[in-house]
Amino acid sequence: MASVFSPPGFDFSNQLRNNFMAQKGLPLPKATSTGTTIVGCLFDGGIVLGADTRATEGPIVADKNCEKIHYITESIRCCGAGTAADTEFTTALISSNMELHGLTTGRKPRVVTAMTMLKQMLFRYQGQVGAALVLGGVDSTGPHLFTIAPHGSTDKLPYVTMGSGSLAAMAVFESGWKANMSREAALQLVKDAIAAGIFNDLGSGSNIDACIITASHTEMLRNVEMPNQRVEKERQYGFRRGTTAWKTENVRSLIVNEEITLLGGGDEMDTT
Amino acid sequence: MQHVAVPHAQPQQRQFNPYSENGGTILAIAGANFSVIAGDTRQSEGYSIQTRYAPKVFRLTDKAVLATNGFAADGNMFVKKVRQRLEWYRHAHAKDMPLRAIARLIQTMLYARRFFPYYVYNILGGIEEDGSGAVYSFDPVGSYEREACRAAGAASSLVQPFLDNQIYFKNQTPAPGTTHPAHLPLSHVLSLVIDSFTSATERHIEVGDGLEIYVVLAKGSALQGLDAIQGLSELTTTDDGERMFVIRRNLKRD
Amino acid sequence: MFLTRSEYDRGVNTFSPEGRLFQVEYAMEAIKLGSTTVGIRTPNGVVLAVEKRVHSPLLESSSIEKIMEIDVHLGCAMSGLTADARTMIDHARVTAQNHSFTYDEKIKVESVAQAVCDLALRFGESVHDEEAMMSRPFGVALLIAGIDELGPQLYHTDPSGTSIKYDAKAIGSGSEAAQSELQDKWHKQMTLQEAQILTLRVLKQVMEEKLDQHNVQVAQVTAEKGFEILDETSLKSVIELM
Repeated sequence: MASVFSPPGFDFSNQLRNNFMAQKGLPLPKATSTGTTIVGCLFDGGIVLGADTRATEGPIVADKNCEKIHYITESIRCCGAGTAADTEFTTALISSNMELHGLTTGRKPRVVTAMTMLKQMLFRYQGQVGAALVLGGVDSTGPHLFTIAPHGSTDKLPYVTMGSGSLAAMAVFESGWKANMSREAALQLVKDAIAAGIFNDLGSGSNIDACIITASHTEMLRNVEMPNQRVEKERQYGFRRGTTAWKTENVRSLIVNEEITLLGGGDEMDTT
Repeated sequence: MQHVAVPHAQPQQRQFNPYSENGGTILAIAGANFSVIAGDTRQSEGYSIQTRYAPKVFRLTDKAVLATNGFAADGNMFVKKVRQRLEWYRHAHAKDMPLRAIARLIQTMLYARRFFPYYVYNILGGIEEDGSGAVYSFDPVGSYEREACRAAGAASSLVQPFLDNQIYFKNQTPAPGTTHPAHLPLSHVLSLVIDSFTSATERHIEVGDGLEIYVVLAKGSALQGLDAIQGLSELTTTDDGERMFVIRRNLKRD
Repeated sequence: MFLTRSEYDRGVNTFSPEGRLFQVEYAMEAIKLGSTTVGIRTPNGVVLAVEKRVHSPLLESSSIEKIMEIDVHLGCAMSGLTADARTMIDHARVTAQNHSFTYDEKIKVESVAQAVCDLALRFGESVHDEEAMMSRPFGVALLIAGIDELGPQLYHTDPSGTSIKYDAKAIGSGSEAAQSELQDKWHKQMTLQEAQILTLRVLKQVMEEKLDQHNVQVAQVTAEKGFEILDETSLKSVIELM
């Protein structure tokens, strides 16, 4: 009898078959990629994370206002670029594990912990999990900012960018970043960096999301800037009733007529 | 220096790809006595914008406009060669080339490069000898057809179904006792063109930045509300022939 | 005329000190030996007529071909060394076909006339060390008739590569008499039939033999039917109307 056991985690049993089919010229299904500009910036006493909100499938915009700043813990957040499913799933998994870790240790988990868990997971999957991350947060040791590449390598820097718009965003950081910036200056710089990605990288677009994390408070600024509002259409595209042709018409009555015959008088409900 | 003995050198293949794809979209719609030819002005390669203003729609004669899309270098060169042929024709035959002759010329020019094609989709719009609005569309090796409307380029798969529905009234049954019009009025057509491009800009990353709409009016026809359109400028050079206009608009830049 | 010959009458691409190309002038003389050919333009079409010299009773007159089709809307009549005309008409036909292939429209009459003249001037041309394709000028003149967007037109081309538009034109041996007759009789509002009759009358005047349906050929280009050579019966009926 065939085994019905399935091991936990990813199932690679179709990989051989899929590679064979790809070799024969059958295109593999495309994953939604967050073509993306994501950035992080250290300032005096905290971290600002930023992201655009465009999700693409090849050259098509799949989502005009998606969220790329993911929750890890209350004071740790993670921006994701790459395969949308991988970034969402990976950050959600690590978020769960961080919560458990916090309960187990009875302490607020640190940013390095999240970073280590993420890089170990990504390394285990040898780049097959296509997540490029910007991880930032504040813990008992202060503010920390990391990037984690899909193969599991990490960097710790005062300002970072990732995704297809990383060069455009980094250009802004390189020209505008200063040490010990104020919260406001850091937020403005992050917004400028994301805007550079939105307007100069085709993979990035729509709105700016930002997240300011300090020791005492995390402020998620969803759609802090919306520089790409949809313009009004010239015409209304309503259709007259009866526009769609049909071949046969069949109207069925959904009303069921029931006849209820009361047996033995039908007592009133006892409400005493 | 270390030498490694290679027992048998494996055959190696090298390739040079002379083509690239520069995004953008073009479209044209023919009316009863006018023709509208439009294109966005973004030129891109991969995820990068090369320029936000690279025209893809070109005026050829007083009554013919050519839109090119695909590999921009080929497109520009092709337009240059077509213009050269138009001038030669003018000198040889003492008249401007009629639209259907330009259409056929473009076919022969494209097919001449059957085995090293211009990587370009062309749409030709203008006014025929009989004064009717016309649109001709081409594939890269010269197959062509006169149509009422056509979209080509990056977002053609988004725009063409919209045009099929709104111009040809595909999948729309007319109200009882009525029929769909064969040609739409100019103001209606311009609205459809603008909406096509703003919508393509929303959902296609390679479409955006600017919009150029060329309008050619047949000899002696009224402005049909064209003068009320913002961003309009007239390109007409003669005062007894066809009139030509261009409408320039901004599109989203993200 | 050219009593004092010099070396200048030999080379086809050498001017004489007086500024003449003798070979071209001689070629023009060859046309004056040819049979008379007449063309008339009317508002409804163009008529061409030629004399076919039947110099032997054993000659099959239908084999003399002096009017030829260039395209459906273009015809041509010739005088002079008619063998040379084959090359020119071939060129005209190819040019007309190339034009309709490339531009999906009928070529203009002026353009074919010009194309023929371009060819007429190719004598003595050679590329690098190669032998020239044509050693001498053509010895033939053509009347090219046709209809295009500018209406019915008649062009005359000669060995010097000149093309001129005419309302009515005669070439060949009897051309001088014929031309003055045309000048007298041609008027703007001629009908096609009047033109047919006039061409024959003009030919009759200059012909030695008695004109009949065997020793003349008439063709016309009309908007309705394009180029056509009149068959024997219709030719006969025109002759009867003379």
